[in-house]
Amino acid sequence: MKLTRKELIVGGAAGAALGAAGIYELVDRLADSPSHFGEGREPEQHLLDGMRIEESEGVEIVIPTRHHQMVTAKVQGSPGSLRDAQAALAEVLQKLDDAYPGTPDGLAITVAWGLPYFRDHVPASARKHLPFDRRAEKSALLDAMRFPSDPHETLLEDNDAAFLFRSDHQDHIQKAATEIFDRMKGVLAITSIRKGFAGQLDGGPGLPKEMATAAGVPGAELIPDGSELFLGFTSTQRHALGPPRIVNFETLGLVDLGPRSYFHGGTHMHLSHVFEDLEAWYLNFDFRERVNTTFKPRMPVKEGTQTVPQPPERAASTSEVERDFDRFGAIGHSSSLQPASRLQHDVRGSDGTLYTKGTAIPQRADFNTLDNPFFWSATPERDRMADGPAAGLHFVVFNPSSDDFHRNRLAMDGVMPGGAKLPFGPRDRGQGFNSILQTTHRQNFLVPPRRHRAFPLAEL
Amino acid sequence: MVALAFVGSACSGDNSKPAAAAQQKAASCPKDWKPAWQRLAVRTGAPVYCPTWMPNPLDGEIGGQWDNGVSVEKNKSWLVSFLWHEPPSQDVHVNFRGFPGDTKIPRCEDIEVVAGKAHKTYSPCFSDPRGTRRFGPITATLYTVNRGVDQWHILYAWRAGGNLYAVSEHVAAPLTFQQVRSNLDRVMRGLVRLTPA
Repeated sequence: MKLTRKELIVGGAAGAALGAAGIYELVDRLADSPSHFGEGREPEQHLLDGMRIEESEGVEIVIPTRHHQMVTAKVQGSPGSLRDAQAALAEVLQKLDDAYPGTPDGLAITVAWGLPYFRDHVPASARKHLPFDRRAEKSALLDAMRFPSDPHETLLEDNDAAFLFRSDHQDHIQKAATEIFDRMKGVLAITSIRKGFAGQLDGGPGLPKEMATAAGVPGAELIPDGSELFLGFTSTQRHALGPPRIVNFETLGLVDLGPRSYFHGGTHMHLSHVFEDLEAWYLNFDFRERVNTTFKPRMPVKEGTQTVPQPPERAASTSEVERDFDRFGAIGHSSSLQPASRLQHDVRGSDGTLYTKGTAIPQRADFNTLDNPFFWSATPERDRMADGPAAGLHFVVFNPSSDDFHRNRLAMDGVMPGGAKLPFGPRDRGQGFNSILQTTHRQNFLVPPRRHRAFPLAEL
Repeated sequence: MVALAFVGSACSGDNSKPAAAAQQKAASCPKDWKPAWQRLAVRTGAPVYCPTWMPNPLDGEIGGQWDNGVSVEKNKSWLVSFLWHEPPSQDVHVNFRGFPGDTKIPRCEDIEVVAGKAHKTYSPCFSDPRGTRRFGPITATLYTVNRGVDQWHILYAWRAGGNLYAVSEHVAAPLTFQQVRSNLDRVMRGLVRLTPA
């Protein structure tokens, strides 16, 4: 299926872009009806009830929601009007909570707030109540940074807020986003709209391949049939994702919540956009090398496997990653992350759960995109908006703090916890995964608990 | 008469009319290209495959305008390369290869220097097979990850008479993967076997 020009192009105002599907209209034409289920509305905004767990190649995986949209915004207006804005946003969000179940069949909205919001709009309360990362001895919410494998051009963004919409139904997202930003007109100015999708492993060529092929993205034909993501491997293995409340600020005891525990039940979110060079990936790395670089050098995996098990008991240690580097001059993406992203010993969480050694901490909510780099931008020159679709990823991940995310991301570049640095050049082939990725934008956000999701601290 | 005129223009590398002619008439190695391909067969002591169609603007004349080199190793394995290059990064690049007396996929050496230390690995020069396809008497396997002189190319390889042969084309602007695949299919359909005798 090829796209018409109308399907490819979306322009004009943010309001029109919020309600438009553009190329993503194809997602529902290409995939079968989704079969998520369940009801739910957790106190945590980042949790989504009713996620389907299935087996793929003998490995338990979480089936991701099909449609995703991220809308970033700046706060307009005077500080005095924040309380009114808070009430208005809380009301519209509550209305949407009542209209849709908090499941993939319904709609999940996660509202996150960036440092510019806390610095510029509620500075005094923020100084008092923002969570503090005890391990890093810094605030749990830090400005984003460029990592060693990031190009110099990576934009570190300064949005006040980010709204993540997830659903199996595109119309739920479009209606909800339009309703929120219509209601908040004059208070929230949209800075960008980012859209995308994830494959649900429901057979056939798979959504990423069909979408990339329809868009004419170079290398699309080389994506293996049935893959969940453009790069050909499943990334939602249950063991590779943190269990539900592990990323809450309070759970692992990493974070001091301050005098009133205002952000109890909240978490941290990192958002970035990454271009993926599919042609370079599929024409230069054979299956064996793709496994080596995605998981671990010499990992025994049968040719053609897409879902590779990553159980806690096999989580790599720093010394194993260093050994791989010495022996092969290469590290695997997953194994290099694990010394930072997996628990190094058993931890009894504040929720009473025993989180065992090797348990994953981060909860990813990333999704593939054909945005270039965004679906819509208020500042197209600054965001380097380009014509035509491009394969990429809107990377969304929840961690207990900015520093915890930074530790993970640095490990991916060979900077291990404890500071040992494996001497790779930027985007070295030994970090094969990194060599085909190009990050364009980054920002860190704080995700308040549901009760404080609208203009947090404005009422104090 | 019309068909003959089309066959004549096939040598120019024009990418429209000759195909029709090639389909209408049993392909033969174009007369300007044949002597050098024939000499190659004699030199290597094994049959070679002469193209009758090449992607625009290339032709298949060894020693001609687009010749990018011919090499024959001690073991008689050979490489014939044709290249059009437009700076900074546009290429139409086709390689023909033969490995007389050997049907194993060759191994390629790769040296990565990381932090001053050289890591040497040997991998199959052609990997990630993506199925086989018949082109007349030839049954060829498509490989999408190739190394050495065929890096960033897609490649068909086949075995015949105890020898291994390969034809590859670079996936690079101005061509897309689909266009290169289609070009390669067309090159394969037009191959003509020349024996050393």
